[in-house]
Amino acid sequence: MAGSFEEVRIMKNSISIFWRKRSDFYKIRLTKCLECGKVSFPSRTKCPYCGSKNVRIVEASGKGTLVNYTVSYYRTEDSDELQPRIIGLVKLDEGVIIPAEIVDVDPDSLRKGLRVEAVLRRLKSDDPFGLIYYGLKFSPVLK
Amino acid sequence: MEELGVKNMGKVFVAGVGMTKVGRIFNKGYKELAMEAVDKALNDAGIAVSEVDYLVVSSAFSDSLLNQVDISSILAQEMGIDVPAISVNTGESSGVAALEAALNAVRAGKSNTALIIGVEKLSEFPSAKINSSFSHVLDYEIEGIRGIAPINYAALLLKEYMKRYGVKRDDIFQWAIEMHKRAEKNPYAYLRFALDLDKARNSQVISSPLTLYDVAPLADGAAAAVLVNEDLQTTIRTQPVEIVATASATAPPIYLRNDMLDMLATKKALERLRTTVKFKMGKDIALQVHDSFSIYGFLALEELGVCGRGEGVKAIGDLQYLNVGGGLKARGHPVGASSLYALDETVLLMRDSFSGLRYDGDAALIHSISGAENNAWLALLKR
Repeated sequence: MAGSFEEVRIMKNSISIFWRKRSDFYKIRLTKCLECGKVSFPSRTKCPYCGSKNVRIVEASGKGTLVNYTVSYYRTEDSDELQPRIIGLVKLDEGVIIPAEIVDVDPDSLRKGLRVEAVLRRLKSDDPFGLIYYGLKFSPVLK
Repeated sequence: MEELGVKNMGKVFVAGVGMTKVGRIFNKGYKELAMEAVDKALNDAGIAVSEVDYLVVSSAFSDSLLNQVDISSILAQEMGIDVPAISVNTGESSGVAALEAALNAVRAGKSNTALIIGVEKLSEFPSAKINSSFSHVLDYEIEGIRGIAPINYAALLLKEYMKRYGVKRDDIFQWAIEMHKRAEKNPYAYLRFALDLDKARNSQVISSPLTLYDVAPLADGAAAAVLVNEDLQTTIRTQPVEIVATASATAPPIYLRNDMLDMLATKKALERLRTTVKFKMGKDIALQVHDSFSIYGFLALEELGVCGRGEGVKAIGDLQYLNVGGGLKARGHPVGASSLYALDETVLLMRDSFSGLRYDGDAALIHSISGAENNAWLALLKR
């Protein structure tokens, strides 16, 4: 209605970024350089080590080992007031280290060398108006 | 000091400096802060605003937090001048990048009197919003979108550093304690109080094992500097301090490094600086290192060769001319202005004294990085 104060519902997040990069959010894709031989995370059109565009994108298994982690209480617009977030470095079985959020785990049970695997979780959300954006995080491998 | 690659280029001097107090300054906007620093710097140099012929502005978050794109043109309008005006943004290290842009303009003969303004106004919003913007110094499409913040990387580095070198958690607090000592004497500093080990030890964990006193407070502030060429140097009333050279480098993100404790961008920038000018790096040099988190302070000292790997804690007590204003840690971190505060403090130190401290060395080095060292910038000054 003209002149009324209706809430304008604009999404905070970009749908097109998530759509375009869905392969990198739903899978772990690595850049294998055919010039220098190095493998890096995530997929890129050029090797971040040598700049070569002679690269091949390969998919990782999604399994790895926790090499370092921090329990973060840092507040941002996306953080949960009540829940700390665990950010870690995971060494994939393919040998590449990637930064990732670690979920479904008691911070006290974390240790270096913990076997972890990629799981699909919510990254961001435009609730209650819009979309929920998903991506991969890591959780301990269930025995 | 021997200059190797700049023989044919004219010398460039800092003619004037000006700073505002750093803090949460709710009664001033970015324009008021910038104008206060500019007036002080022009007054210090003894030149009129109409003599400024080139403007470089450094502000990391004017776009995201102040809704202001092209802040340099807006500030030129605010000053009533119609000069070439450019904005520089390399994240947290924007100040030294702005210094290089101004230095290049003067050396290239495009400017005789260049004005540099670093200004950041962060306190307009609650911390959660400021922290989100600050996180965007990392790669948004890779790290930001996955909720990874610079502080998390600093925590991971701190953990690795303590483990590798057998450094204790308490030892790391020495950085904050030393920086607070310096800030107490700096009239422009944000955190002008002494810090003891007990207080540091009992501060809240932000990203384990890193606590509140390992973190530089994001703050408002503006710092300005006037650069002049060799011809004008004799007409200025202050004792000139020369900008001998700047150098910089980018480097891969830390998760792609063979050793995450290597400051690769700093290493490369230092190599580049050394191809331009020979200088001696030691414990007695006036040095400003980037300590957005205390662990970066130690890593920078070690990468720059002030002390050996893992020896930063032992060395810091002897470094009288380190971060004379209290560093980002205690002076405060008005991001795009921070390394221009470092410049201004160092110029005052080399001219006469700063915070009651006198320095008789002939060289000084300023170091600045952004994010988890996505880039590093260095500036070498000479009395």
